[in-house]
Amino acid sequence: MNAAFYVVGQSPIHRLPAGRKLATLALAGAALMWVHQWQFLCLALVLVLGLLALSGVTFRQLLIQVRLLGWFILALGAYSAWAESPALALEMMLRMSTLVIAAQLVSMTTPLTQMMTVVEKVLAPLDRLGWVRAERVALACGLTLRLIPELALQWQDIREAQAARGLKPGVLTMLLPMLLRTMRRAEELAEAIDARSSG
Amino acid sequence: MLIQFKNVFVHRDARVVLSGINLSLTEQRIGIMGPNGSGKSTLIRLINGLLLPHSGQILVDGRDTRQDVRAIRRSVGFVFQNPDNQIVFPIVHEDIEFGLKHREPDAATRRARARVALEQLSIGHLADRLTHTLSGGERQLVALAAVLATEPELLVFDEPTTQLDLRLRNHFARVLSTLHQPTIIVSHDFELMQTMQRVLVIRDACLAFDGAPGQALAWYREHCA
Repeated sequence: MNAAFYVVGQSPIHRLPAGRKLATLALAGAALMWVHQWQFLCLALVLVLGLLALSGVTFRQLLIQVRLLGWFILALGAYSAWAESPALALEMMLRMSTLVIAAQLVSMTTPLTQMMTVVEKVLAPLDRLGWVRAERVALACGLTLRLIPELALQWQDIREAQAARGLKPGVLTMLLPMLLRTMRRAEELAEAIDARSSG
Repeated sequence: MLIQFKNVFVHRDARVVLSGINLSLTEQRIGIMGPNGSGKSTLIRLINGLLLPHSGQILVDGRDTRQDVRAIRRSVGFVFQNPDNQIVFPIVHEDIEFGLKHREPDAATRRARARVALEQLSIGHLADRLTHTLSGGERQLVALAAVLATEPELLVFDEPTTQLDLRLRNHFARVLSTLHQPTIIVSHDFELMQTMQRVLVIRDACLAFDGAPGQALAWYREHCA
């Protein structure tokens, strides 16, 4: 697991403006909801995998990031096949896999600050109306994305530390240190941002 | 730059963290030493308003940290002990540019200033690297570059050499000697403290010694070892 989604590169996908990538992802996501033929869904998945290859992001790098979600999609598919039908399960799994890989592709080829700039621009009209502070919302979104992989690393650290002490992972032994470390990390991050900002 | 502490008290819950600190700092290189938990880090966090005193006053060039914190933070650069706490964004140049956002509206100029700061520390080659792939020492230098890019009038360091190996520590000491800004450094690094003009020793929340480095280190060895 990396402590960041972004993969450094100079591919055409990397060079696309962040706004265009995010808008395409949103439109493609909405469009896929209307597609029910597995052949077309397969085609969409192949297309996304083709874009992944074009971006220079390796399949292994992708797998590291989406492994957990992959298991989740499989479990959901198994349940759907049992509760509804195998055809519906296949459709759902193809759709979700395509969306997850497409979203991951955007995260892995777009620097965080570019995504934050897009959020800021999208929210600018609401900012002008005084409804939201666009810059703060963008920073919150950016930090959330930034910290997801870090939290996963933290979880791994705690699990290793507990294992080294001969403790089995449990709700209390894992969640309590996780909560405390996350709160401490949040405090440190807030302090660092305070120290560096003057706006 | 003149920094004044006027009868400063800081408490944390029922514990006194700093007690009755009175100081006037004008030297170019000031070191702060003291046992763990003595209040050193608290003292330097008061300078740029990261912490406010429970009583007393801190003035940075005549500006009160209670009333003028934004202007003070603009002029005081703070380098944290753990660079991971300071580095917010995943790409080196992105992180440095983030600190310039409110100071420089033009993105190209921000990027240029980030490059200059990295080059100043001879780490220009790290600009496009992911921060989590850097070594601890490289991260410490990136954290310093992020602060230098903001062109502060005063630099405050919280134990900057703790995570550095000997080579990087020496590189850091060389960099430090080239900085034109006044610097205040909290450190346990005796060799580094020898290069200061004035060294303060904080013990049990109080200013226990204030003087030349040689005398301060001798006092520290005698009373705090």
